[in-house]
Amino acid sequence: MARKTPVLKVTNLKKAFGPVVIVDGFNLEVAAGEAVALTGRNGAGKSTVLRCLIGADKPDDGTVEVNGTRVSETNPEIRRDVATVIDDLDFFPDLSVVEHLDLLARAHGIPDADTAVDEVLHEVQLVPQSGQLPGTLSSGQRRRLALATAFIRPRKLLILDEPEQRLDTEGVEWLAERLAAERTRGLAIVMASHEPVLVERVATRVVRLGDRAEVLADE
Amino acid sequence: MSKKSRKLIRATPVADAAPEPDVVEETVAPPREFFFLPDVEPLDVDEKQLHQEMKVWRHGRATRTLGQILQDSYVMLFSLVVVGAMITSAVLRAQGEVAGCNTEACASGRLLLPSATVLACFALALGVSRLFGPVLASAAEGFWLMDAPISRKRLLRGRLVPPLALAFGVSGLATALVGALSGLSWPQVAAWSGAAAFGSAALVAFAASEQPRERAVVIKVLQALFGTAALAVLLVVVSVAAGWLPASVVSSAGGLTLVMAGIAAVALIALAALLVTTVARLDQIRRARLVSGGSLVSGMQGAMFALDFGLIRDILVERRMAEKGHVRPTRGRGLGLGALIWRDVERLRRSPSSFLGLGMSLLVPYAADALRMSQLNPLLSGLALVAGLVPFLGSLRVLTRTGGLARSFPFKTAQLRTAAMAVPAGLALLWGLAATPAFVGIASTGADRPFVDGLIVSLITALAGLFGAVRWVTAKKVDYQTPMMATASGALPPGLIVNLFRGIDMVALITAPLILGAPPYWSLAIAAVVYFGLRGSFSMDELKAEQEAAQRELAASKEAQATKKIPRPTR
Repeated sequence: MARKTPVLKVTNLKKAFGPVVIVDGFNLEVAAGEAVALTGRNGAGKSTVLRCLIGADKPDDGTVEVNGTRVSETNPEIRRDVATVIDDLDFFPDLSVVEHLDLLARAHGIPDADTAVDEVLHEVQLVPQSGQLPGTLSSGQRRRLALATAFIRPRKLLILDEPEQRLDTEGVEWLAERLAAERTRGLAIVMASHEPVLVERVATRVVRLGDRAEVLADE
Repeated sequence: MSKKSRKLIRATPVADAAPEPDVVEETVAPPREFFFLPDVEPLDVDEKQLHQEMKVWRHGRATRTLGQILQDSYVMLFSLVVVGAMITSAVLRAQGEVAGCNTEACASGRLLLPSATVLACFALALGVSRLFGPVLASAAEGFWLMDAPISRKRLLRGRLVPPLALAFGVSGLATALVGALSGLSWPQVAAWSGAAAFGSAALVAFAASEQPRERAVVIKVLQALFGTAALAVLLVVVSVAAGWLPASVVSSAGGLTLVMAGIAAVALIALAALLVTTVARLDQIRRARLVSGGSLVSGMQGAMFALDFGLIRDILVERRMAEKGHVRPTRGRGLGLGALIWRDVERLRRSPSSFLGLGMSLLVPYAADALRMSQLNPLLSGLALVAGLVPFLGSLRVLTRTGGLARSFPFKTAQLRTAAMAVPAGLALLWGLAATPAFVGIASTGADRPFVDGLIVSLITALAGLFGAVRWVTAKKVDYQTPMMATASGALPPGLIVNLFRGIDMVALITAPLILGAPPYWSLAIAAVVYFGLRGSFSMDELKAEQEAAQRELAASKEAQATKKIPRPTR
């Protein structure tokens, strides 16, 4: 069977912070409908790989392509296709939960923004907090809002760094179900996770990383 | 192996042959049943002794002696003494000169400006007290000390002194400076600064007495009253100077001096009475309230070390919003960049208090013109507008301080920044139109320009203020990874120095041709370049990334050509 065209293609990715090499020649291809879980001990380079994938960190060498286009943080076309949840998401201090989602939906040109916002709000269970300002949310609720920002926009690739962080048990269950549904709908997913529930129920491939993001196993 | 290691190995006594192991009966440890729980009544704690002990611990851990600290900072101390002496001398000279001015404008300004300062000091003292506590404790003290059954009153009594001393000193000095520069006689300076110092201290003590009750309404009302009164007095100064009001509206100097002396006396008595009440109530202040002020101070201290005033503002905004907690959500409008701009329009309705600062900044061009400073008016007014516009650039600030949120939007950096600048640009335009009469000339001694010239100068000033504010909110954090600069105060990252002038630099750059008398199109040209720089068109990171990408493409195509087989020539 012919292999599908990869949504994400990473070739010989290298990244060092000063003299410390974090990622040394990482390669990965992810096709549509495939979910890859990056696992490995703390400091293996999972987050750095993910930050390079979305252009948040500039790789020292190597290439990252999404649907054949080289990833650059300055290319808005890439931003249309890639939804991310990593730790550096900031919020407008004076906009409520619902206003954040409304703004994002409209910025992405979603015609029926109200319905989309309503649906996602219900899904992430933040309806009671819809009028709250982000500064008053608990850390788990902030995480849910961050996840909601990924689910309200058009996307072909989801990149998530430990999305289970600060979620309660029910939340992890919900997230696993939701991500599995996203995968079934044909989205490509790359996530770094330590949560067995997510890895088992969502991932179609598990890539175990050693030091310097060396691929120890891809199964 | 080194000689030393070999010696050490040789010196190690050779172990005797191991003795035959005795058969030891294995004892099974009994299950642990005891957990520490004192069976005696705890003694009363002497808080003073506890505090003293903490001081002794800290004393033993100091890394530098006082002599070393003085040695390191002698340049700064010397500079402070020299600059202080220069300022004092200049103030004394100016006081002598200004005291000789007998025009109506001088007479009114002499009495009204120090009075406005007194009122502004009162408003500021209440505002700062409400923000920080005024009584506060660090997070560590909150966790380690406040949890213990000790008297908070004894711990916190000393904490009343710094806010009171600060209010007393800052208000007294500021009013004395303004009074002397306005040309008041020295006894009058003492009356005005005494009123400001004792009044501010009394108001801080009042805020402290309200702290256990967590009742901010009275303080808020008083703050608004004093703030409005200060603004009204300033308006009168400008109006008298511009000739819109007769100078006779100002009462006699003698009467006002007595009023100020009276305020100082009453404030002193109130301060004493309030201190007694406040100390009695110190035990009732909640730990959370004490610690929140302490956390705020430590956060702001950290930002101050990096001279990151933007971060200080962020901390304050976050705190205010966390206190607000909830808003009535409004529905957005439009799609794409329009949605972002509409959200900024909605923000105007949500934070009407921001208009107060913008309105106050509009007073500056009129005041500068009325006070015969028309030459420097574009610079002064531009700087005032920077302060007035910063609250409207919250959206741009959040989108530029971290990449995460900006990455969620499907727009280029330049598009995002331009959209986030749209509403403030509209406000700056309105400000420019409203300030035009000040640049045309309102006073007989002020500017004297044709209307169109005045309008152009006013709009350029508005542009300078807008770009100064944009530069202020978008500046990057200090990068401590870059090579340091050697200064007399030690090694400093270059960004730290630049931080002091960010925003001011843009205003100075754009208004410089106006001040120097060059044609205004120079200012417009500079403003155009500044705009393209600020919107991120010349982002070095982005340009470098594009250059690197192009180089990679070139290298890849060269490699592909090199590996291509050269077809053999056929006969």
